[in-house]
Amino acid sequence: METPRSEKDGPPPPKTSAMVYTCGECHSENEIKARDPIRCRECGYRIMYKKRTKRLVVFDGR
Amino acid sequence: MTTEKVKQLKIIKIILFPQVSSTDYPGAWAGYDDAWDMQKFIKKFFINVVSLTDTDIEFDMVGLDCSLANAFRRILLSEVPTMAIDKVKIYNNTSIIQDEVFAHRLGLIPIKADPRMFEYRSEDNEEGTPEDTLVFELKVKCTMNKNATEHATDPDELFINHKVTTRDMKWIPKGNQQELFKDSICPVQDDILIAKLRPGQEIDIEMHCVKGLGQDHAKFSPVATASYRLMPVIELTRPYLGEEAEQLAACFAPGVILVEEIKGQKTALVVNPRADTCSREVMRHAHLKDGVKLSQERYHFIFSVESTGALPPEALVCEAINVLMSKCRLFIREIKENQKDKAEGQELK
Amino acid sequence: TPQVSDASHDDETCATFVLHGEDHTLGNSLRHMIMKNPDVEFCGYSVPHPSETKINLRIQTKGPSAMSVLEKGLNDLKKVSKHVLDTFQVGSL
Repeated sequence: METPRSEKDGPPPPKTSAMVYTCGECHSENEIKARDPIRCRECGYRIMYKKRTKRLVVFDGR
Repeated sequence: MTTEKVKQLKIIKIILFPQVSSTDYPGAWAGYDDAWDMQKFIKKFFINVVSLTDTDIEFDMVGLDCSLANAFRRILLSEVPTMAIDKVKIYNNTSIIQDEVFAHRLGLIPIKADPRMFEYRSEDNEEGTPEDTLVFELKVKCTMNKNATEHATDPDELFINHKVTTRDMKWIPKGNQQELFKDSICPVQDDILIAKLRPGQEIDIEMHCVKGLGQDHAKFSPVATASYRLMPVIELTRPYLGEEAEQLAACFAPGVILVEEIKGQKTALVVNPRADTCSREVMRHAHLKDGVKLSQERYHFIFSVESTGALPPEALVCEAINVLMSKCRLFIREIKENQKDKAEGQELK
Repeated sequence: TPQVSDASHDDETCATFVLHGEDHTLGNSLRHMIMKNPDVEFCGYSVPHPSETKINLRIQTKGPSAMSVLEKGLNDLKKVSKHVLDTFQVGSL
């Protein structure tokens, strides 16, 4: 299968600082910085999920 | 020998591997003029449309060789163009169906757009123009239904927008497409389920349709099926009476054999060989098979074409014939140019 | 891109044409039309490789040039198709 092409001029990923993660337990969104503890601020759960890329991806419909 | 030859040419005996190709070429049969004669062809050739609906057509094509019938069938399957989704730009897809699977699924959706109104998109043309590209948008977000009853378990009631169907695909006219097509561009069916969502999941996609051929990808094929069969011929060489008549009738598809009371005896008559499936069931019954001759008519093609819906089936058949004609024209022109080049080359000498 | 090409040599009554971009669709129907020509001694086609869309069409004649026989075959095939199309259009109205 062909590898999808990412749009070069899409929005660049936010540099270092804060990234938003979703809690695996209560689904609330958490901003976590580089050396922050990986822990949900609402419920204390330690499994966090990364969000889908905001970048445009192009596929062949075949 | 004369009648024998005529019979051999017109009829195909049903055996395990029937010889379907014809042998009536000049020189093959002594004493016969088998040379091509357009007038002879026109005289015996006819077409009879048996049934026609929005999507299906059945017609009889009688009096031409199987190589031509097969050419039309093959062209219908793989060389009549249609429009289909080919590029899928995914801005967001948080559903559980993976991007590439989703893109492939979208590609297979039949699009109601007349391919004759579009150009082929060239290789180097990445973005497309209004002449060769149709753009669709699919933006769906699933949410909880706040008005659902307390103990509801039915997802239809619990969630809003949880089924993504072709109805959600929105055509985005580009350039002069709005004036040209009004609002006629859409998927052929509006109730094809393409994904299921749960609250919080979202799909945001832009799709580009291009013109293509079935030989490139099956999604471009304009037909669900296009096939032909030969007209069955069933001959009874001895009378089938009484109980045997009923047994014989049971060996064929319903309606093929009629059991009639003649002179106080049940008698089997072949009334509609067309309905037969050519199952050869009768050959399994030792006491019945001795008086039955099963065969097919060599030049009687029963075509059945089922359109996917982009074009009506009769238009597809016309397009297929046109494709074969333009192939011929193309090569004739090629030969003419070849000869011209040769002539010019000799003048130079 | 379709293109007719043949090995050039002195005997014009025999030739193998390579039809690019074609398969059994045109190959078999064209072969049939050419074989219907009484001037033709032999006509046959082959697909040299299934993953290359081209066919080799061999023509040997009893006199006229193979090129003219090919042209007649194409013309006959075009005329037949035209008649089939006209008949179908009348029939499906």
